[in-house]
Amino acid sequence: MSLVAYTLVAFILVTAVATALFRDVLSAIVVFGAYSLGMAILYTLLLAPDVAMTEAAIGAGVTTILLLLTIARTSRPSTERLFEPINVPALVIVGAFVLVLVTQLLPEMYAVGDPAAPVWSNPEVTQAYLEQTYRDTGVQNAVTAVLAAYRGFDTFGEAVVVFAAGIATLLVLKREVFA
Amino acid sequence: MADSRSTGYEDTYTESQVILTAVKVIAPFTLTYGMFMTLHGADTPGGSFQGGAIIGVTVLMLAFAFGIEPTRQWLKNSVIVSLVAGGVAIFVGVGLATMALGGNFLQYELFDTELGIPDGTKWGMEAIEIGGIALIVAGVVITLFFATAAGFTPEGRSYRTDSTDTDDEVITDD
Repeated sequence: MSLVAYTLVAFILVTAVATALFRDVLSAIVVFGAYSLGMAILYTLLLAPDVAMTEAAIGAGVTTILLLLTIARTSRPSTERLFEPINVPALVIVGAFVLVLVTQLLPEMYAVGDPAAPVWSNPEVTQAYLEQTYRDTGVQNAVTAVLAAYRGFDTFGEAVVVFAAGIATLLVLKREVFA
Repeated sequence: MADSRSTGYEDTYTESQVILTAVKVIAPFTLTYGMFMTLHGADTPGGSFQGGAIIGVTVLMLAFAFGIEPTRQWLKNSVIVSLVAGGVAIFVGVGLATMALGGNFLQYELFDTELGIPDGTKWGMEAIEIGGIALIVAGVVITLFFATAAGFTPEGRSYRTDSTDTDDEVITDD
């Protein structure tokens, strides 16, 4: 990982903690948008452009706009403090969890881009898809091929879930039209 | 510009020359980029989920610049319903078409072998990507935006006092 990536990871950590700690909701939403944008750039550096585009469009774009709209429609309590008070027992539990993850789990994981990592090196799944996709489907983007062809029925379920989310919003808001 | 006869939306809208100018310049490019990502998702990174979201966000940008209520009147409720429901219908239709040809749900190669469409698998995928998922995602993003902007109306109160827009039904007290 390059210096850029480490800087980005530090930026993401700071914005994530700031999102949780800011007492003012508007500040938290803006910092959360910055967090999503940082994640999108990190995904790009990790060679996952499809995920990066989703994170940038949905995470940094739509979510931020919807949250801003929500606080515009509600009352925002004015505060004099900048940060939330920290709950010490919660901090101890979360800190212990993070400590265990960092000391026990992280050393066991493969490095980013390690050719020996199972997700990359196995001939049965990843390599098989990469080799067969163009022959089977005629499209060059293997991610699209998996989503729309090999796992088409799953994607149909996802699309219907998105559709159901729109309907559910209307039901919750007790409306009959999208307006 | 804002229509102040109807309730609720306008109190948060401020006409800003900076935002108007920026959106006027940027909106054509975001729409084009969303269309490109949708139409070209089979061969480049991206796809209809991302492209549809960007197309939807273009409408959100217009609403921020020109006010939510004018945008809502410009983009009729029936258009958004057609986008979302039509997307689901196209997706199901492609799946049922392959079953009608004697195969399984979404068994695209039958378009090639049974109907003689060259690259049937590819065009079947393009159909559900462009005609299905992109429409659903773009429509639902716009839906969530307008629904959130309109907000929750407590029981027994009409949420709009005028009904000049015949396209929308008005929920009134019983």
